Amino acid sequence: MSNNVRVQPDLKFVKELQAVGGESLKKCYQCATCSVVCPLSPADSPYPRKEMVWAQWGLKDRLVNDIDIWLCHNCGTCSDLCPRGAKPGDLLAALRNMAYRQLAPLGFIGKLMSNFGGVLMLALVPAVIYLAIWVAQAAHFGTAFPLFAPGEGHGVWEPVANGKVIYGGLFPGDYFIDPIFGAAFAFMLVCFYLGVQKLLKGLKASPAVYDLTGAEKPGMLAAFIDTIKHEVLQHSQFNDCGEDEEDKKRAFGHKMVMYAFIILMVVTGVVATGHWFGAWFLEHVMGLKDPFSKFIALLGSTPMPLHSVVKVAANVGAVMLIYGLMQLTKRRQGLDPKKQGSNFYDWYLLYVIWAIALTGVGAEIFRLVNIKYLAYPTYFLHLVAVFMLLAYLPWSKLGHLVYRIVALSYAKTIGRIPMGAAK
Amino acid sequence: MAEKLGVYICGGCDIGANLDVDALAEFAQNGKHSAVVKVSKANPVLCSPEGRAAIEADIAEHELDGVVCCACSPRVKWDVFGFGKTQVERVNLREHCVWSFQDDKKMPGQMEVIAKDYINMGISKLTKSNVPDPELPETVKTILVMGGGFTGLNAAKNAAGLGYDVVLVEKADNLGGKAVNFRKSFPLAYPYDQTQETGLEALIAEVTGNAKIKVFTGTTVKTIEGAPGNYSLTLSSGDTMEIGSVVLATGWVPGDAHYLAPLGYGKIKDVVTTAEFETMASHDGVKRPSDGKAPQTVCFICDPGKFLEGVSYEAGAVCEPVEDLPEETKAEGEEGEEEEDSFVYPDKESAKHLAYSSELTSLVALKQANYVADDGGVAYILYDHMMVPGINEQYYKAAQDNPAVMLSKADVVEVKENGGSVVVVAKNTLLGDSVEIVADMVVLPTAMVPTTAADPTINLVYRQGPAFPDLELFDGFADSNYVCFPYETRRTGVYAAGAVRQPMGLGLAREDAAGAVLKAVQCIESANHGVAVHPRSGDLSYPVFNFMRCTQCKRCTEECPFGALDDDEKGTPKPNPSRCRRCGTCMGACPERVISFDNYNIDQIGSAIKEVKVPDTLEEGGPRIIVLACENDAYPALDMAAMRGKGWSPYVRFLPVRCLGSVNAIWVADAMSKGVDGVMMLGCKYGDDYQCHFMKGSELCSRRKENIAESLGRLGVEPERVEQYELSIDEYDKVPSMIADFVDNITNNFGPNPFKGY
Repeated sequence: MSNNVRVQPDLKFVKELQAVGGESLKKCYQCATCSVVCPLSPADSPYPRKEMVWAQWGLKDRLVNDIDIWLCHNCGTCSDLCPRGAKPGDLLAALRNMAYRQLAPLGFIGKLMSNFGGVLMLALVPAVIYLAIWVAQAAHFGTAFPLFAPGEGHGVWEPVANGKVIYGGLFPGDYFIDPIFGAAFAFMLVCFYLGVQKLLKGLKASPAVYDLTGAEKPGMLAAFIDTIKHEVLQHSQFNDCGEDEEDKKRAFGHKMVMYAFIILMVVTGVVATGHWFGAWFLEHVMGLKDPFSKFIALLGSTPMPLHSVVKVAANVGAVMLIYGLMQLTKRRQGLDPKKQGSNFYDWYLLYVIWAIALTGVGAEIFRLVNIKYLAYPTYFLHLVAVFMLLAYLPWSKLGHLVYRIVALSYAKTIGRIPMGAAK
Repeated sequence: MAEKLGVYICGGCDIGANLDVDALAEFAQNGKHSAVVKVSKANPVLCSPEGRAAIEADIAEHELDGVVCCACSPRVKWDVFGFGKTQVERVNLREHCVWSFQDDKKMPGQMEVIAKDYINMGISKLTKSNVPDPELPETVKTILVMGGGFTGLNAAKNAAGLGYDVVLVEKADNLGGKAVNFRKSFPLAYPYDQTQETGLEALIAEVTGNAKIKVFTGTTVKTIEGAPGNYSLTLSSGDTMEIGSVVLATGWVPGDAHYLAPLGYGKIKDVVTTAEFETMASHDGVKRPSDGKAPQTVCFICDPGKFLEGVSYEAGAVCEPVEDLPEETKAEGEEGEEEEDSFVYPDKESAKHLAYSSELTSLVALKQANYVADDGGVAYILYDHMMVPGINEQYYKAAQDNPAVMLSKADVVEVKENGGSVVVVAKNTLLGDSVEIVADMVVLPTAMVPTTAADPTINLVYRQGPAFPDLELFDGFADSNYVCFPYETRRTGVYAAGAVRQPMGLGLAREDAAGAVLKAVQCIESANHGVAVHPRSGDLSYPVFNFMRCTQCKRCTEECPFGALDDDEKGTPKPNPSRCRRCGTCMGACPERVISFDNYNIDQIGSAIKEVKVPDTLEEGGPRIIVLACENDAYPALDMAAMRGKGWSPYVRFLPVRCLGSVNAIWVADAMSKGVDGVMMLGCKYGDDYQCHFMKGSELCSRRKENIAESLGRLGVEPERVEQYELSIDEYDKVPSMIADFVDNITNNFGPNPFKGY
């Protein structure tokens, strides 16, 4: 008798799921076509069929701790071939959205991040901060659009009447940019840490509905390295997800965007290192004048000449980012809404990255052609957009960057999916 | 008696390429029947306009009263080879002779022998055939509709709409039947995705307001006496009236809920049936029987059939009766048992009715689950299979869409009580292997038991009794063969519609009402034209009795599958042509051979058999086998086999019969005395899943065959020479081996008929 699992249906949860993107979930009649056609789903207790019936019964505890929602890479084949238009792919996406909203602490941010109005509210934070800086600097310089010439030392700018557009002049990095982004980054990391803890706790607590005996069970570190090597760097799962031309394009576009971000991250890292380690620590604090220290400091000196290796890398990254974004946006626009829907989370992430890319490239161009009235507002928007992406990352769709890697690694440690080499 | 015959040999469809048709025409003209054959011609394509014109010209010129068309199967081109009052006999040279011919190397030239046999048989048959001239009785154009429920009301409305007077008899004091307690119905109209109002009140108003419809409520049918077209009806009120035919729409009663005891019914108060639930929902709202509160969660169990697996389906054997059950199903009783002759009508209800109702169970659960959702609760549906036939799929799709309706496949293993709630334990669910679901209330399916399961209902004054015979084959449903002949019953003139015939919802019941009314109309309009209603629709022939020789043995009156024959005190049969379906079962039954049809009789078939030329020894011309083939199933199978290039022994000769039930033992005796080596009888399947157009033909024949075999044995003829085979219409591929095995068995194991050569 005690072996019987008591089912606790929750109508409210069903309606919640319907509201966040799973509106068609009731149409499922459990034929399991979805699980059969899914290129990634494991043979034992495959998703997304079981998730569909759990969702219909509102079995919240099972769904919120379900590891399989992270195994899905959302190619949409299940939804395409669903005879009832139940859109299982959308349901899994909705469940992930729910996870973005609820895993990290500060639930109100999650709530705000789930809709357009909320996001606008959140955008006020960076907008007010940077506007305040701008206003203060404008008062200081006597103009909101000052031009600059190089002063003494790295990153020192003198306002002059016929100088150049220098963003570091208006928004000095040392005092305004780096501390704020540093704080935002740290905030994001802490939130992610707590979110990951919650995720792992949930995953461990969820009853296994599949048979894991006999499966290889590596340690977390090995699984993590394996995941980075295969699923992340090679996109091994993503490449297998869907067989259509469109699916291949999507995987390629996603890879482009990801590598672009890696390049831009490296560039940012190099600049930060150059500035803080080279110019500030080696030259300023230690007073070193040797060529190595000079070189390091030079790497962190902005704006850079266009022939700089770092600048070239940054521009290549920007081009790759825009190309990848175009692929992903085109695909999403081309989706048949009868088969696969796009929700706010999908569009928000695309738009915010578009905003970063376009304002970033725009800021560079307007700086180069020295049109101060376009350059500074564009740069301001760029700052806001980057802040949005970074500070609220755990509650956005980009949260999958961390959650999916953790879930995939964990899935390997319990044997739900094999290590990359075993595929 | 056709005495001036024209014989026409077609040369088309490979016949001319294999046979010398001119020589055959010559053979017919100058052969043994030259006295009656006035014209005999070959024609390259007999079914062509020229061929037909030639026959018509000869009929006019030679005043022919019979035409023998030796061409293709009588099952094709019957419209071409019809010549008004001139009788036609079709000789099937194409399928039975040319297309199915299999050469015997040891005995060449058999095709011509076959053709000549068939031509002689055809001529002989026609000379023994007359044009039937039935009486044309005046018929009463009033249709009795029994049952004032949804089906009956629709039937009455339809019948009146067709211009017929209607007598509508309802047992209860009010019209409406079971639908009175329906809150809603499944979809009845496009787009078939929403429950609807039943529209019952408007329907009742329409019927009661129709001047052509006379309504009797609180009334039952006491007796129906007479025959279709001229029945006299006596009601329980004492009223009597004339009616032409009957639509039986007496519906269903909820099954004995004792069968649901294993699922907690009767033990747990909050376990109810869908019938009880529907009544609650349509009146004061659903309340828990235990505390009168509206349930928040309701669990519907759709398939007790799975749960009842392995239990005996014998009536009453499923479980111990539970004591304190609501009295509701024991409403019969008064009628039937008090008849003067001790007629006993056994109750045919069993646990099977639950399974039969499963088509409705899924739909009812979906509908009622949506009531729960509409009332703010949550419904769980546990099914073994979602059975939503046809257009109802649309409703399933829509009903399932309600978030408060949750479904899972499940094998329910236990229903128990726990702290004021009901717990359903289920295995193999979509939610896990072994789960418990807690609900405020559990709803079990209702078995729809036809009213005819427990009561004769129609109360006919027929010699064979007041009820439909053999309803145990259908577990009490008023059916005879729904696949081929929906609405028909074993009593011509009585047409069943709605749930008395098969468990169904209102949509199908409405269609049924229309269909059954059309049959009832056809019946009246056939009776007054002197023709059969079905399945030999339009057949003018009818059994003629030569009472001079009748010995009152009562075989015909007892064996008639349709109770067409009554009898007098002495046992002399009293024919009722409008009840008759012209199968000839009476003719096959009669040991004195006093029953015949003008165009189908003992002498005719016997003579045709004798037309087969039987060689004196096997060595001289091979054996001879007569095959009597049922023209409804076996004969089409033979045609199909021939059309598909199958062939068989050149020593068999086929004779179509209306039904194996019409085969009289004398025909076998005729064949045997003529030296025929074996007789095959090809009939349809019989038994529980019979396919006989006349219900009993094959079965009766197989019983009579035992007697025939016994008689043959006494004469020193091996009984194995007469065999009956079951052949369904689609089994054409079995025909060649069936024939080959029989012929081989006779020739190899039994040799020539000992009577050969006499």
